[in-house]
Amino acid sequence: MLKTILSFVAMTAAAAATAPAQAQATLNQVKARGSLNCQVGTPTAGFYALAADGTWSGMDVDMCRAVAAAVFNDPKKVQFQSVTSAVRFTSLANGESDMLSRTTTWTAVRDTQLGLEFAGINFYDGQGLMVPKAANIKSAKELNNATVCVLTGTTTELNIADFYRANNMTFKAVTAENENVLITTYLGGGCDVYTNDKSGLAAIRSAFPKPDEHMILPETISKEPLGPVVRHGDQNWGDIVRWTLNGLIEAEEGGVTSANVDEMLKSTNPAIKRLLGVEGNIGEGMGLTKDFMVRVIKGVGNYGEIYERNVGAKTPVNIPRDGSLNALWTKGGILYAPPFR
Amino acid sequence: MAKEQKTSGAAAGAAAFKTFTPMAARPAPKDLTGVTAWLRTNLFSSVPSALLTFLGLWIAWSVLSALVSWGWVNAVFQASSRRECLDKVGLSGACWPGVVVWIPNLIYGLYPKDQVWRINWGALLLIVWLLPLWLPRVQSKIIIGFSTVLLFPLLASYLFLGGPKGWIWTALIAVGLTGFLWSLLTAASESLGGGPFLRLAARLMGAKTAEEEAQRGRLALLGLFAIAVLLVTQWNLDFVPTRVWGGLFLTLVISGFAITFSLPAGIILALGRRSKMPVISLLCTTFIELFRSVPLITILFMFNTMLPLFLPAGVEVNQLLRAIVAVCLFASAYMAEIVRGGLQAIPRGQYEAASAMGLGYWQSTSLIIMPQALKIMIPNIVGIFIGLLKDTTLVSIVGLFDLLSMARAIARDPGWIGLFLEPMFFITVVYFIFCFAMSQYSMSLEKRLGAGERR
Repeated sequence: MLKTILSFVAMTAAAAATAPAQAQATLNQVKARGSLNCQVGTPTAGFYALAADGTWSGMDVDMCRAVAAAVFNDPKKVQFQSVTSAVRFTSLANGESDMLSRTTTWTAVRDTQLGLEFAGINFYDGQGLMVPKAANIKSAKELNNATVCVLTGTTTELNIADFYRANNMTFKAVTAENENVLITTYLGGGCDVYTNDKSGLAAIRSAFPKPDEHMILPETISKEPLGPVVRHGDQNWGDIVRWTLNGLIEAEEGGVTSANVDEMLKSTNPAIKRLLGVEGNIGEGMGLTKDFMVRVIKGVGNYGEIYERNVGAKTPVNIPRDGSLNALWTKGGILYAPPFR
Repeated sequence: MAKEQKTSGAAAGAAAFKTFTPMAARPAPKDLTGVTAWLRTNLFSSVPSALLTFLGLWIAWSVLSALVSWGWVNAVFQASSRRECLDKVGLSGACWPGVVVWIPNLIYGLYPKDQVWRINWGALLLIVWLLPLWLPRVQSKIIIGFSTVLLFPLLASYLFLGGPKGWIWTALIAVGLTGFLWSLLTAASESLGGGPFLRLAARLMGAKTAEEEAQRGRLALLGLFAIAVLLVTQWNLDFVPTRVWGGLFLTLVISGFAITFSLPAGIILALGRRSKMPVISLLCTTFIELFRSVPLITILFMFNTMLPLFLPAGVEVNQLLRAIVAVCLFASAYMAEIVRGGLQAIPRGQYEAASAMGLGYWQSTSLIIMPQALKIMIPNIVGIFIGLLKDTTLVSIVGLFDLLSMARAIARDPGWIGLFLEPMFFITVVYFIFCFAMSQYSMSLEKRLGAGERR
């Protein structure tokens, strides 16, 4: 019920807000303000987390910083707005946030009916299942008649129901509103399976007393492409966010890192020359400068660096990248940026 | 001296006549005194009562021992990440270091750590300002109290917010500072026996008649204001946007505003609703009913996400301000109904007696009716205040980091991932301290005013 009301509000807000948004381009507003208003969610490990010293970090936080570095010469010129997911689209539609970078799934309804524009995909997530290793289960197909711990009122709940129906199996759901309650239930043996997005499962598992005793099954039962979102109607601003993201991926593919970006300016590779603005004029066409990607890479690194820093093997979240969808297309994943030309 | 003589005389008189002297009281029977007797009468008077006692003891023991073993015996006090805690004790003991490193965030939010002294000084300022209210020889307590409520926000908002200030802003801060200086000087001069500060200053300037005193008193106040302006212009603080305000500090700012605003606003609304003038009564009733029949979370939502739609593009109203206004309006609607209830408890005779004395509406309300009504309403008013302190947790929906949302963020910090029980325990204690202190203060206030007995 609340969701229906909120999405209705978001729609009316979107309808009402397109007029003032068009009146003044987002880029000009951001430049005039001197900082980017970037919306993240309530803290989530690996994507937008608060540290004890009060700084933000995470995949999506670095996306905000990258855009700030593209617009200004400073990745720190971001004001992070932490908003609950219930009001995220309204807060973007009414102009309060310039962009939204907060593990939001790209869906048809959101893209076409809420006045939103998805600027790309910075993380391919999908719903997974976690079971205790002791249960000796190797595939989700073996989970007939299982009890499943699932957060209530989320798409996760619908996805698991779809999965079981599609496979002609039955399950018993154990639901809770609060993640911590659900985790305690699972650890206490209250359910056989814990289901959530795979990125979330990795983080949850890393907080278990003995993470090695649990495993995430290979199946992915839903598609959750996550990416930054902007308001519909300001194409130029959407381009800036989209090509900043594409630039990060392109930089990894070309081997440009925050450490070697200055040397790479002398590179003879035409793709890298165009990416860094040595050749061509992509940046100025969007209202930025030629070398905007140089600033971005110096500020936050390339996609691979961002991944390793926030959710890589050395972090507590530890989402394996090799062989996953989030590997570059050259390495077996589906991360693929259109060419910079 | 004279008194002593008299008693010794009486004693001599008593010795002369044989009078009745009662025997010394014998001690009570042994089985009615001492620990065993108390136990027998209170805890083990019958078999069911004894069983209940044992059951209660068992419940208390199991809860307390579990709590102590989790929070103290098995707890980890030295660790650099949750993983370290989990490897040491698993889930059987608390992991306190996570809460300890987050304490600055829990108290001050994301306020720049090198500027935190401003919040501490703000708190100190408030305490010093209110201190005269507890000094027995200070007479101007009411006006000092009012000056705190009205002027402290002016001074504190610059202290907390900082940044460049135009001349209006400078003047307002100076007014706040003048109020503070005046309160301090008045308290000092009154407790040293010099009477009100302004009169003292006027006399020192050679005022003789009452008229001269008033005139030069005003001059002294003006001088104080000039000093304040001078101080304020020299005073430059870095700008700290409200976006980074958070934790206990934010909780207290929002609830503090709501508490101080809701009482006067509630009184005005309640009087308005009872007014015989149809327009005023209709307006007040509409406001009260509108805000009372909508949940606070909806009001917060409307103020935060719908308001920007109705404002022209580019006009940004501060998010914290919107939340404060929403909470204030909501709280005053509730307060209005409590005040109205209190007003209705005053017997008609009081109104009639006040009219018979020739008092007008405002006089009878402020001198006869309101003081009695407010006295009866203390428990309800404090109930609302306590509720407000806890309701402020709802501002997390609009993205403000109050104490609760700060505590929740700990579980999402990669270093302390999954740590939620310990922070919740900690903020439970913090909320308890504040709410319990408020309720104790209201009890003592009730006792002092004798509100319970006098009816």
